[in-house]
Amino acid sequence: MNARRIGLVAKKEIFGLSAEKTIIFAILLQVFIAMFSSFLMVGLTTMYDPEALEGYSTVTYGIGYAGADSPLVDLFRKRDDLVLHRMDLDQALATLRERKIAAVIFVPDTLPDAEGPVTVTLYLIKNDLQSSIINVKLKEVLQDYERELREVRADRMASFPVYLNFPKVGGAENFFEFVYGLLIPLLVFLPAIISSALVIDLITEEYQRKTLETLVSTPVTFTEVIWGKITACAVLVPVQAGAWLLLLGANGIAVRGAVAIILHASVGGLFLILLGALVALHYRERTSAQFIFSTALVVVFLFVMAVPYNPLNLMVRLAVDTVGPIHWLILLVVAGVTALLGWLVTVYAQRVGEAGAA
Amino acid sequence: MRILSSIRTIAAWEMKRSVTMMGRHVLPLAVGLLVLLVLVTSFAAQSGIHMQDGMYRIGIDDPGVARVVAPDSRFTITIADAHTLREDRSAYDIIILRGEVYAADTDKGRAALKSLERDYEVYVSHIAAGEPDLFAAYPLWIDLEYVKSEIDFVATEGGQQVGTVVDARDPPVPSGPVEAVPLPSSAISVSEDDLRERLAETGSDHPLSRYTGILSGSSSVYTLKTPSQLSPPLPFDSIILVFIFIFPLYFTSQFFMMSIMNERVGRAGEALLSAPVRSSAIIVGKVLPYFALMLFISAAITLIIGAPVGILIPLIPVILFFLASALIIGMAARSFKELSFISIFFSTLATAYLFFPTVFANTHVISIVSPLTLVVLKLQGDGFTAAEYLYSTALFFATSLILFYAGIVNYREERLFSTKNLISRFADFISGGIMRDHPHASLFGLALLSIPFVFMVQMMALVLFFNIPMPLSLVLLVVVAAFIEEFAKSLGLYAIARERPGFLTLQNLLIAASVIGLGFLIGEKLLLFATLAQISESIFGSALFLSLGVLWMPLLLHIAGVLITGGFLLFGGRRAYVPGIVVASVVHSLYNLYFITGAPL
Repeated sequence: MNARRIGLVAKKEIFGLSAEKTIIFAILLQVFIAMFSSFLMVGLTTMYDPEALEGYSTVTYGIGYAGADSPLVDLFRKRDDLVLHRMDLDQALATLRERKIAAVIFVPDTLPDAEGPVTVTLYLIKNDLQSSIINVKLKEVLQDYERELREVRADRMASFPVYLNFPKVGGAENFFEFVYGLLIPLLVFLPAIISSALVIDLITEEYQRKTLETLVSTPVTFTEVIWGKITACAVLVPVQAGAWLLLLGANGIAVRGAVAIILHASVGGLFLILLGALVALHYRERTSAQFIFSTALVVVFLFVMAVPYNPLNLMVRLAVDTVGPIHWLILLVVAGVTALLGWLVTVYAQRVGEAGAA
Repeated sequence: MRILSSIRTIAAWEMKRSVTMMGRHVLPLAVGLLVLLVLVTSFAAQSGIHMQDGMYRIGIDDPGVARVVAPDSRFTITIADAHTLREDRSAYDIIILRGEVYAADTDKGRAALKSLERDYEVYVSHIAAGEPDLFAAYPLWIDLEYVKSEIDFVATEGGQQVGTVVDARDPPVPSGPVEAVPLPSSAISVSEDDLRERLAETGSDHPLSRYTGILSGSSSVYTLKTPSQLSPPLPFDSIILVFIFIFPLYFTSQFFMMSIMNERVGRAGEALLSAPVRSSAIIVGKVLPYFALMLFISAAITLIIGAPVGILIPLIPVILFFLASALIIGMAARSFKELSFISIFFSTLATAYLFFPTVFANTHVISIVSPLTLVVLKLQGDGFTAAEYLYSTALFFATSLILFYAGIVNYREERLFSTKNLISRFADFISGGIMRDHPHASLFGLALLSIPFVFMVQMMALVLFFNIPMPLSLVLLVVVAAFIEEFAKSLGLYAIARERPGFLTLQNLLIAASVIGLGFLIGEKLLLFATLAQISESIFGSALFLSLGVLWMPLLLHIAGVLITGGFLLFGGRRAYVPGIVVASVVHSLYNLYFITGAPL
């Protein structure tokens, strides 16, 4: 094998990609999804974090209260974002329907220390943005009430949980876990999957269009052609993964350990690309190769995810900076497995090449 | 009759070909992989998914407290005495000292705190569920009732707080009639055992339980909840539907795409083209087996998860849409890699269109834009009305039919085997729909047919923009909508100018602009009338579909837009096309903005 000739083939493939403007599609794709990641941030935080938008923070919600007196009235009084109105139930519901109040609560005259439960009826507007926010706010009040009732009925309990006192930071939904624990590893690994599908296209196309003979009649050997295609695809992985991290950064999502994340993505990506190349060499026809490869991909991913300290988990840990030097060791292991697969692809390609020459 | 028999022949041939190809080489390995998949799945079920392991660091001074956190692998636990923990305060996201929880004042610290609170709730309910006296452990139950309020879309757009002005401390009074409502009884209608069972279910901390919950629809059966069970509809839940239904459908449509592509590789499809069958028969015959297969797959999934069969109805337009797009992509791509990229790009768009609106299912009417929302509603046991079905699927049916039509018209030798680049191929496809003898009638038809696509893209924009703060979202929407419309209107003109440069004279341009404007307006009216009444009533609706108020004004606007683009084409040649569209869009936006900001209408 000759590195210069591999480089030549790789260059040809990359030029082919940009000539067909497929690269542009890939970039469009990234920008499009990046648009949505900002959509996720802005849109969903707005929905679930009432403090996220200026408009929300000043709003006070009216709550209709019907039925018997209860300690709930005092609990509501303590909050400045909820105003309680004592009303009749039918009046309150009619008002709710006109959206002049945000929720109605009906409390029965069950005594706090009664045998049975206190069953409160809560009326909310169906299909409504505001109901989600109200839901969060009311939940806090009701949990306080539940705690009070539990204390009243404490003598009837048999065992007690360990008590923890949580600081108050507001009931807002937080998207940190979604972004760092799911979005980042998936986005960074997306280029690896795309590249491994690409290598199948590049290899099977030569077979199906019968252009292989022309290629092999040049001084380039078959194995070099294959490795050239693999190189072209492998180069794209870190470039795209890096672009993702930059785009995320532009969206205000700072990612730590970016270099290490890209390294993990590149090595993992190369593994998938080699797997794709092997399948493509075996089938020499796109439909079958892509089908088998995607099924294999599901198996590989499911397996990898079930293993502790898998590369995707390492990306999460790297992104939030909770990983020790152990990730270098795992990188080494993955690289070793990848090298083994690379050797297998080389041997297979050489055999195919010799069979073709004979 | 003859066309039916040729469709049958082609369908049978298509099936036989894919079965033999699959059978010989692929099947053994596929079966092997399937077995492997089952093994790996059971391994994963046992070991758990280790994606978010060790995201947070927590320091605890008491091993008893550590038991609360232990089942959650997201936390790396350090047990040390209070002094050491306080020393390395910054190394932890959370520390717990003598029952007091301290979280770092960062996003990460708050996220960790949230997770810890949830874990604690699970732990507490685990303990409480074992209590002999259930109503001592759970003294408070909430019966959740939803009230329908009619002003849904208009009231909540842009997060405006319509109707909750509570400046006055006096209780508000309803202005409408008051219905008498029976007071809810304080007795509990569900048996204690049922309640216990329900509590135990929430206590199980399997990460996927939330997702399986939507599929079985269990959350809607019980309206009786404890305070900690109250939760706003979670936005990401419906993504499971994308994985379960949409992904297999998309995957299968790939086979069809590839079958079309294979006809073109090395001119393999030449024999079929020269056979005495119509291209419509070829395409219908080729698509039928895949349609049946996709329907079968959806039905199988429905049966497996035990969902109501009714969810298949909203999936049919989605299947058609996937197949229609697969046809066009398979006919347009020049190479395999182009095929891959376009299809990935397309699938991302389609998935986004299907998935993002469902985030707002139960929360906002906008969600009905996607047929998947109907699936969500059906799974919840709410069901959907015929009007809602029409509303969310009309665009899918219309665009699929038009795409199939475009495919059939262009399924000819010179289009299939040409090696031009993508943009000229699409332009060719469009000019394929323009009849040489009746160019104006064709332009009219083209403008009419482009409406469903325009609406789809505009819906997408609406979904994207509707919860950005108010003035910005409206301006963005107006500009984007204007651009999309001007672009769609100019397509036919551009295709003609490319193919027949001599056609574009001043006289022809005037006629063409008039018919395009008219076709566009009629299409808009027709589709709006049928489907989108709900959205068109809101202010976003007036931004998108302003043309409803007076007829002649929007007609003039549409004609003027085409005239501007056409004028650029006429005097500046094809290079002036893009500036032409930009100028036309600016004019269009200004017109729309003028009317939205309170014109005397």
